[in-house]
Amino acid sequence: MIESTSQAWKAIDQETIRLILVGNPNSGKSTIFNSLTGLNQRVGNFPGVTVEKKIGYFKLFGKLKVEIVDLPGTYSLDPKSEDERITFDYLNDSNRSDKKEIIVVIADASNLKKNLLLTTQLIDLNHPTILVLNMMDIVDRNNVTIDVKGLEKELSIPIIPMNGRIGKGLSELKTSISQYEFKSNKKFIDAEKGADILENTINRYDKIKQVIAKTVKRSGVSKSTLITRKIDSILMHPVWGFAIFLFILFLIFQAIFSWSTYPMDWIENGFLVFGSFVSTVLPDGVINDLIVDGVLAGLGGIIVFIPQIALLFMFIAILEDSGYLARVSYLTDNLLKRFGLNGRSIIPLLGGAACAVPAIMSARTISNKKERLLTIFVTPLISCSARIPVYTLLIALVIPAEKQFFGFNLQGMVMMGLYLIGFFAALLTAVIMKFWIKSKERTNFIMELPIYRTPRWKNVGFTIINKVKVFLFEAGKIIIAVSIILWILSSYGPGDQMEQVELKYQNSEQTVNSEQLASEKLEVSYAGHLGKFMEPVIRPLGFDWKIGIAIITSFAAREVFVGTMATLYSVGDENNTASIKEKMERATHTVSGEKVYTKATAYSLLIFYAFALQCMATVAIVVKETGGWKWPIIQLLYMGLLAYFSSLLVYQLFS
Amino acid sequence: MEKTLADCKIGDEVILSKIAERHLSIQLFSMGCLIGEKLTIERIAPFGDPIVISIEDSFISLRKADAMQMQVIKNGDL
Repeated sequence: MIESTSQAWKAIDQETIRLILVGNPNSGKSTIFNSLTGLNQRVGNFPGVTVEKKIGYFKLFGKLKVEIVDLPGTYSLDPKSEDERITFDYLNDSNRSDKKEIIVVIADASNLKKNLLLTTQLIDLNHPTILVLNMMDIVDRNNVTIDVKGLEKELSIPIIPMNGRIGKGLSELKTSISQYEFKSNKKFIDAEKGADILENTINRYDKIKQVIAKTVKRSGVSKSTLITRKIDSILMHPVWGFAIFLFILFLIFQAIFSWSTYPMDWIENGFLVFGSFVSTVLPDGVINDLIVDGVLAGLGGIIVFIPQIALLFMFIAILEDSGYLARVSYLTDNLLKRFGLNGRSIIPLLGGAACAVPAIMSARTISNKKERLLTIFVTPLISCSARIPVYTLLIALVIPAEKQFFGFNLQGMVMMGLYLIGFFAALLTAVIMKFWIKSKERTNFIMELPIYRTPRWKNVGFTIINKVKVFLFEAGKIIIAVSIILWILSSYGPGDQMEQVELKYQNSEQTVNSEQLASEKLEVSYAGHLGKFMEPVIRPLGFDWKIGIAIITSFAAREVFVGTMATLYSVGDENNTASIKEKMERATHTVSGEKVYTKATAYSLLIFYAFALQCMATVAIVVKETGGWKWPIIQLLYMGLLAYFSSLLVYQLFS
Repeated sequence: MEKTLADCKIGDEVILSKIAERHLSIQLFSMGCLIGEKLTIERIAPFGDPIVISIEDSFISLRKADAMQMQVIKNGDL
């Protein structure tokens, strides 16, 4: 029975077609990809991302299963940067013969000439090709008409006019795929193999210009460029441009803090109710403790931050989709150049505020190797979304939520301060490294500024859903594993030390204080011994052994800090009624009885988490992107020492 | 007299006549910035760098160092 179904699946698999989407940057490829696949996409994982091409699936007219590969945007088949190389390598990989393949070139029809360069290169390489003329709405608005039938004749491939934003032309594309005739292409230009690239490009453009003269007619002004010029006169203004950029960043931080309060409260309360429900339903015992105090406490501690992470990804997606990020590159190039970086570095640096892993990958668009390496090296210093839980918790511990500073939420201001500290640390690090790494390779900053468009809300929504999904599942896996290990380590101890503590309390005359008992038991547990072992090293930073445990577990991922705290402070809290924050507020040093989380300790810990490279996924991606262990090891040591000594300084200043 | 793109002012309309560097040529050509094309200087950032040019309906940002490699003819001089 099982065998026959798997054979049926095989039969379907054999019928599949693979569509490969290629096109210039900003040609609207991802919108078309999203429209075709819906949420049926395979997205990159945090740890061990190997590909940045996106893969999705859809059923053509309910029957034929189609696989779609979305490749990074490129202007030509002559790669100038690592992201373009991915497209180049994928198209040249001849080992892939499992499926019939059609290349769908997505062209920005309002800039047809340069889009035809890539298209005709693919035609001449004899790839089965369909040309999609996207953004036909802009062509209309710019008073241009394209003779599609005429163009089809000139290129001898099927051409589909489309407006990807409203899905116009999608069904025509599907029909064209289902009726595609696989045959040899008619050569666009006669070029010998191995001919000079430059000469080949010039010859190709000569022919393209002839074709365009025959098929494209302009009858008036181009409205989209007029509007873009107007917006740019404000957003790229030498003074207002910068002011607006900083203001946008400021608004984002305020929003992340204030908008997310309500959903975060719901989630937190929900988990508390759910936890006590589970603990009453399950029979008392080890399993009950493990699930409630270990797994649920750890997971709840992290799920609560989803609203903030979703908001951050939403803002970055909106900025990118509207065309604004390219302007930010222009605004910052001159500054970043002085630090050995590039205007293009601002995209990894801003993206680093969400997650360093995709941000480091996006540094591929920087063609100069030294600038790219510097960008990769400093990006993890930018505070990422995994630090949000740590920051939020610690800031809330020492700064009251009501506190205002010139009418702005002070918690939000401190949060923004931490991001700024990370940004300046990144710049300073880059400038030091700049003198250390030698390079003679020429550098440039050539970047197209796309016209402004309203963000496609569907794309923004997909980005949020995909990123939150990855965050939940990838981080969730690590957190559950770490929570379980931690619960075991903190519930059991070497020898009979645990029993002795219990005995001591049973025999004592005083009324038993359960929290004190729990704390003493934790101290003699395996985790307690580990923390105690570390304590002499971290004592000067104001950290106790419990924080020591959290720092160790955070090497898997920073957000584990919160889960660790939750687990450490939950063990022994029988009813599990208090939030982590309340428990941490109550925490005192066992010997002196002083509060653990004073301002000095909290600030010191914040700085430690701002600078230390506590993320396995980042180390893994740097190994991959730099092609070896040298740079990630230097990075790990550098950021570790920076964190240690900065925290030391901060603690000494505030205590 | 030879004039480069870096010598132009905002609002100048020029014709690209030569790109001195091969790699730069390949990159600019692939973005539709060709010899004989009409360029408009749209914007020059503070300290003269970077600059934005427009070609037909697209905008390209580049550094002064790149602009110095690009020889141009004033539109009226043809």
